[in-house]
Amino acid sequence: MLPNYYQFYCPVKILSGQLAVSNIPFEMKLLGCRRAMIVTDKGVVKAGLIDIVKSAFADSDAKIGHIFDEVPQDSSDKTANRIAQMYKTERCDCFIAVGGGSALDSAKGANIVLSADSGDILDFQGADKITSDLQPLIAIPTTAGTGSEVTKVAVIYNETTETKMSFVSDKLYPNLAVIDPRMTLTMPPMITAATGMDALTHAVEAYTCLQKNPIDDIYAKTAIDLIRRYLIRATEDGKDMEARMGMANAALFAGIAFSNSMVGMVHALAHALGGVCHVPHGMANAILLPWCLEYNIPKVPEYIAELSGLLGGARAYLEPLEQAEETISLIRNLLKKLNKISGMPEKLRDAKVLEDQLPETAEAAINDGALVYNPREVSYEDALNVYRKAF
Amino acid sequence: MDFIIERGLAQLRSIPFYPVIQSRSKYELIDITLTVIGVAFEEVSKRAPDLKQEISSWNDGRRCALGVFPKGPFITLEKRGDRIHYLGKREIDPDMTFLFKNLDSALLVLTAQMSAHQALAESRILLDGQVSYGMELNRALAIVETYLFPQFILNKIFKRPPTLNMYQLATKGIIYAAMGPALLKNGLKCTLKKQ
Repeated sequence: MLPNYYQFYCPVKILSGQLAVSNIPFEMKLLGCRRAMIVTDKGVVKAGLIDIVKSAFADSDAKIGHIFDEVPQDSSDKTANRIAQMYKTERCDCFIAVGGGSALDSAKGANIVLSADSGDILDFQGADKITSDLQPLIAIPTTAGTGSEVTKVAVIYNETTETKMSFVSDKLYPNLAVIDPRMTLTMPPMITAATGMDALTHAVEAYTCLQKNPIDDIYAKTAIDLIRRYLIRATEDGKDMEARMGMANAALFAGIAFSNSMVGMVHALAHALGGVCHVPHGMANAILLPWCLEYNIPKVPEYIAELSGLLGGARAYLEPLEQAEETISLIRNLLKKLNKISGMPEKLRDAKVLEDQLPETAEAAINDGALVYNPREVSYEDALNVYRKAF
Repeated sequence: MDFIIERGLAQLRSIPFYPVIQSRSKYELIDITLTVIGVAFEEVSKRAPDLKQEISSWNDGRRCALGVFPKGPFITLEKRGDRIHYLGKREIDPDMTFLFKNLDSALLVLTAQMSAHQALAESRILLDGQVSYGMELNRALAIVETYLFPQFILNKIFKRPPTLNMYQLATKGIIYAAMGPALLKNGLKCTLKKQ
């Protein structure tokens, strides 16, 4: 069914496959750039992934102007300011962000600071506040989950107010997303499982929430199919190149889907869990996904039902409600398997959440913007009930 | 019947400067509706305990504006004590703004054809400012609509239509009775300010 109204936009050029990173200098030439600034974190450097990027520049006119490897776990306004300052000092003309969501968001944050030019990054908080063109950004994800390489969102931590700020703008799309299987090979099983479930949540929420549309549906379904094929394999054997490639593409497709359709209650509740109880985002999404789908069943049983076939369920016709329940049970089975392989928790109590933190978390959750897109109304009591069930 | 309406509309469209007249009419209608909402915020916050509770966590002096891109109309509301005060038909230094992208989108919401949350989901409203403030204003707006619109409209536009108890129904009646004089008072205030 077509929605009342929808928008779709994804201007990112995608390079996906074997040795994709080696094409970056050529792509820089097409973008009119010669001196790149790499934004990454110490873990990525230690894993030897920056060496892969460096070797791509060995026989090229393009240069690496500076490597900033101090991105913290949560990208912050101060880090963004430092990166922007170095970018100017080193006279770079494009960013290459290598890492998970934090590295990519830090590069996006620095880019906002540069576009503001001595202005305050805080002025650009919210949706569609950035109007000037940004510096070219090349994104190389080293996890398969956030989809930040194809999204128009940056989440930056405000160190002064200790809150997370959201920046949403079409200008924040990277120019290039480079998906190279070599870049995700070093991810440990637990992170592979959590980021994979993050991608699954993006796809499922894009498919079941209010802004679902026919274009995003295709991306979301493809992502779910790839996750069903490859998530267990990639978690069991990190060196399985085909599975890594499949998961990296799944995260990319899920990213395109949710960047336009947006996400709903799972993300709202997971953001609050991250803020109050410091549960990693992918893990929080993984634990909450089946419970939130169960909550949404009365409003969108047919959409949830349609996913059961993609997750490996029976293709025979069932009533929508039964089939929707099958979808949820398949996701629970997936979680159980991932728990066995990687130790990823299935319950909030196993993720070190305390029961008395739940009311504060529910209060934060109902003020999260993602709730707007959820098909069913979520009050404080509803959020608390879901947390209690997932506890 | 449809043929007659179609013909009437076609004749209307042939009037010189029709687009300008149409846009001006929409502007005026939105201006009036926004004023009604501004006044309703004052009246509902005086009487409805659920709105008082919803805004209890708002910082004192928080200002929220509702308006249309690019040239308005606008209204600004301010939280003072346990009430919302309607400051007038301008954007007066707001902490956050609900900005409709155009007059047509504003009309959809302000004539109760679409809820504010649906308009937000469809990117018809821009949220300028902190997201949590926007979510709080959205919930407060939903409570005001609960006391302003009849049940059949609430059933149509709300994700979970509210069921009012006897006390809330009585409050709704009192608010309906108070709206006329409040709008009159507001109209007089505006006229005096202009002079």
